[in-house]
This record gives sequence, C-alpha cells and structure tokens, in this order.
Amino acid sequence: MQITPELIQDGLRRACYLTIPAVETTLYLSLVLEKPLLIEGPAGAGKTEIGKVLAEILHTDLIRLQCYEGLDEAKALYEWNYQKQLLRIQADREQDRSWEDVTSHIFSHDYLLERPLLRAIAAPRKVVLLIDEIDKADEEFEAFLLEVLSDFQVSIPELGTITAQNRPAVVLTSNRARELSEALKRRCLYLYLDFPGVEVEREIIRLKVPELDSKLREQVARFVNNLRKLDLRKAPSIAETLDWARALRALGIRELDTAGVRQTLNLILKHEEDLRKVENKTGALLKSPSRID
Amino acid sequence: MRTRLTEFIDQLRAAGVRASVAESLDAMAAASAVPTERDHLRAALAATLVKDAADRPAFDALFDRFFAAPGQVRGKGEQPQPIGEGIGRGPGQASASDRQSEERQPSKSAARDTAEREREKRQREQAAAAHLARRREVLVTAFESMESRLVEEAAMLVEELSRRLHAHLSRRLARAHRGRLNFRRTIRASLGTGGVPIDPIFRQRRPGKIDLVALCDLSHSTATAADFCLALLAPTSHFFRRVQLFGYVDRLVEISFERGHVIPHQPLDLAARSDFGNVLRQLWEQCEAAFTRNTVVLILGDARNNRRPPRADVLARLHARVRRVIWLNPETRRRWNTGDSVLASYTRHCDAVLAATNLRELTAAMKSALL
Repeated sequence: MQITPELIQDGLRRACYLTIPAVETTLYLSLVLEKPLLIEGPAGAGKTEIGKVLAEILHTDLIRLQCYEGLDEAKALYEWNYQKQLLRIQADREQDRSWEDVTSHIFSHDYLLERPLLRAIAAPRKVVLLIDEIDKADEEFEAFLLEVLSDFQVSIPELGTITAQNRPAVVLTSNRARELSEALKRRCLYLYLDFPGVEVEREIIRLKVPELDSKLREQVARFVNNLRKLDLRKAPSIAETLDWARALRALGIRELDTAGVRQTLNLILKHEEDLRKVENKTGALLKSPSRID
Repeated sequence: MRTRLTEFIDQLRAAGVRASVAESLDAMAAASAVPTERDHLRAALAATLVKDAADRPAFDALFDRFFAAPGQVRGKGEQPQPIGEGIGRGPGQASASDRQSEERQPSKSAARDTAEREREKRQREQAAAAHLARRREVLVTAFESMESRLVEEAAMLVEELSRRLHAHLSRRLARAHRGRLNFRRTIRASLGTGGVPIDPIFRQRRPGKIDLVALCDLSHSTATAADFCLALLAPTSHFFRRVQLFGYVDRLVEISFERGHVIPHQPLDLAARSDFGNVLRQLWEQCEAAFTRNTVVLILGDARNNRRPPRADVLARLHARVRRVIWLNPETRRRWNTGDSVLASYTRHCDAVLAATNLRELTAAMKSALL
C-alpha cells in the first residue's frame, strides 16, 4: 500500500478521528520514515486512540502492550509454555524417542507463548504495535525496549533470531508520570497531543452523538473547554465529554443551564474537590466564552 | 534547503534544544517526505527535533523567524532575539492559524478563538513542562538547601518513589526465586494430575530472613534526609523479618514512623550536639544479642561528632557480627572528612558509604543497600 498524506487524511476521517493537520503530518511521517511515534499529552486527549485508528487506516491488526510497574521480558516478549512441554513429554513416554528428537520438538514454535513484542515482530504482515503508557514501566524495561525498537529482531536461544519481515508501525504513549530516557526519545518521532479545542471538539460531538442538537453541542464543547482551563485534579477527557453529551440527550435537556449542569456534573468530574470547586462557578463557566478567573 | 535546515538546527541547538546528529538526519528525511507547505514543514521538524514539550515555544519562535510565511520576507541576517522574551507569537503563526480557521468559519471571532486556543495550548504545554522541570528540581535539590515549601512537594514525590522502591524490591525477590523448584511440593501437587507436574511450585525466598536496623540522625542538619529515608522505608517493612527504627542526636531512642511523622518513644533533645560514639555504644548495649548474620544495619548521618570520641571500635565489633553495615551520608561528598567529621574512621567498618544528598541519590542508595 502506497502511503500518502491523503491516505492518512481519508483514513482519519473514515475512522471518525478528528484532529489538526500537524497530527496528520506527524502520523504520515512516522509511517514513511518507519520510525516509532512517541505521543505525550494529558490523559483522555486521544493518544491510545491514534494507535487504534492507525491500524484501521493500514487495514491491519493492532497489537497492544499495556505497560505497568514490574513489566518484564517474560510478559512482553516470550515465555516457554512449560505446562504444554511437560504434557508432550508425558505423552511421548511410551514411544522411544531420542533426546535430540524430544528437545527439538518441545522447543519449537508450538510451545512458545508469544507476548505482544514478539507477536508484532513475527507477524507475517505489517501490524501496528501500541505500547501504552510507557512511562509506567521501569527504566530497565525501557532500555530493553530500545534494543527491540532499534533492530526489530529478537533472539531466542533455542530457536535462533527472529527478524521482522515487515517492520511494525510503533506507537508509544506516555502520560509523563516520569521523564523518559533521552535515548528512547531520540529514536522516536515526538507528538504532543493536547485537547482539541472548541471547534474540533464540537465536530467530534457531532460525529459521535449526532442526535444532539447544534446549540447544545456548542454549549457542551464550550463548557468543557472552559472547564479544562481551571486548575483541576483531572480535566474531563474527550470520552467523558461524549458520555456527558449522551447523558444530556437521554435526560432530554434542551439547553444547558446551571441546574442541568449541577445535576450531571459528576459525569465529567470524578473528584470530590473538583466538583466542589466547579459547582459555584457553573454560571460563569456557561456564560463567558473565554475568561473565567 | 539542506544548508538552510542545517543552519536552522544549529540555531535550535544554540537556543538550548538538544538535537542529536541522528535527529538532524531524521529531520532532513522528514522535510523531504512532506509536501512543501509551511505547516507541514513545521510539523515535520517539530516531530523529529523537539522531543520535549518544554522546548516547543523556543522551536516555534525560531521557526517563525527562520521560515517566514509567504509575503512575509525577512532578512536572513536578522538578529535572532533572545528566546526567553521571544515566546510570543510570531507573525507567521498568526497567518497560519487564520488560514486554518477561515476554512471553517470566515468570521473574525473564530480567528480570535483560534488565537486564544493557541495561546492556551502553549500555556498548558508550558505548565506541563514546568511541572516536570519542577519534579526534576525537587529530586536533585540538596536536602540541606531545601526550603519548607519544597520539602512539602518532595514529601508528595516520596510517596511515589517509595512505591517504586517497593516494586523494585518485590521484583528482585520474584526474580530470585524463579527457577528454584520446590521438588517435594511439586510432586505432591502432581498427584492430582496423575503424576504429571502441571503446576510447578517454586521455592519462595523468605524475605523475612533479614532484620533491618535503621539509625537516623534527627538533628537539625540532617532531619529532612532522615524523614525521607524513613518515609521510603515505611512501606517496605514486610520484606524484612523485623525492622527496628532508631533516632538519635546525642543518644539513642527508639522511634516509629506513622503517617509521615517520626514518633520518638522516649524524649529526645533535638537541639543537642551529635555524639555518634555514645549512640553506637548505646546501640551495642541495647541490641548486642539481636545482632546476627542476618542483620543489616543502615545508618543515616553526617558523622559530625563535635570532637567527641568516635568509638569506631564499637562499629568494628558490630560490623564483625552483622551481615552488612551501610552508611548513608546526606552531606555533599566534598565536605566528607572535613572539620569535625569522623567519617573516615567509620568508613573502614562499613560495607558501603553512600552519598544521599538529594532524593534521587537517597532512592538509589536505598535500592542498592536493601538488596
């Protein structure tokens, strides 16, 4: 498949992923240059979604590796399926098999538990590898990941080296819980994905909750954007905005007013402090298009 | 174009953005891969050269000066303004965002909205960058020079660090017992599956084998470091069979650490002058029987003994008895063994003397000391 900027644009549109042109260009570049793409930004701005959409655009599979503290190679790369190997040995007991025969058998592909990284590398066609929340993994794992990302090959002592036939498109996301190593950043293209702003968000609501009437749509987008300017513990994500829009629709609210907002505020704010902070400001947040405090 | 890009990257480096050679090559490749429009070029260069949101304002300012918008010809030799002031929007930026909004809504208010949004976005990026920078600062600020506000911030960070330390220790333990089969229990478990050992049972490493004895200097000069050390230790207590915490200034008292506060069990004069010799002697008298080959002794202090006898012989006796003695010093390495510091006489009887002048060092030292 020839990758063109238009392909990306169309693909994003078809996947209902609205964004700014800079994001499109960066996505295009990461595919053309075959470089991993590191996406940072606030939670809920659509980082993970980019990986999914990319798989859709390329008509391929998405392989996801969720990072967490203590993630290690056995969970990320491969492990031998010990139980299955044992069963095999038990089953083979009666037949007289030579040592070489048995070992070559139980250390073959059938007894390998492929974890996401190996799966992405060994895949027969180009896949999208999404490494989610890399900032949650430990530094040691990051260093290990660097090795994999630089050559796209894995050595398994019993099987030999597996090299990627088609380099997977790699997307890494980070919430900046800690700073990533310079070496990793150097190897990746970098994209800072922020919340989309009123216009784009309005369009997103239009696409995903088409039943909502245009006036309410505008109000919702504006209110949420004003909300994100406040110093909150957790700013509302795009998904939460959509949930809210659906809820407003289900409740039959036609126009956003103070009472309506108060009634449903817990859908977009999930911290007690945030709720208290916003509750007496709702009037101002509804009215003014830009400045609040 | 190539030379122009090289020049751009040079200036970017001059503005304090770290861009490696590999990244410059990426930038070249990226620039030739995208359509020749300005916005595309901006995105391409940003993606390849700017790997930290904090550097974005500097990049944008330079980009606007360097690659002027059409109809906005600027001299190449123009002096670049210092980046610190030049965070404001360049003229090219304005026209670019205008063009963007015109496609949707040709009204002026929309253009204003876009401008506003751009500015907010930058503010947010800067805030995010400032947050990370702040974090870095908290991590490397010396305990001695921490002001009270910074101490509070650090306390919040310690929570996260101690979680990491905990994860680190438990992972080390997990790794240690992987592969050591508990033969008897595996065979017993295999009876249920007709003698096929489907579920191998591995030997658990008994984390409880080690007794930890931690001594923290609570005198004013090292109090902050002591607090953080105890806070880091608190959630790891179940890795040890027993944890004994002591605080000291001129004498030894037992302490406990609850909800972020040090609670001495006997009164302790915090304003007294440190006396390590006396403290060591008391420790020996109180716990001699408890010191075994499974004891790890962790001492946090600056070893400034106010010219009193250091009693290194006590530490030597102690060292001979226990598994390990580790000294953490919250003073900068430069000042070790100067003035009334008697660290040298203790160093001989320690397995390791580690610097712990800031949070980063302290965490690293604890990691290596505890396993």
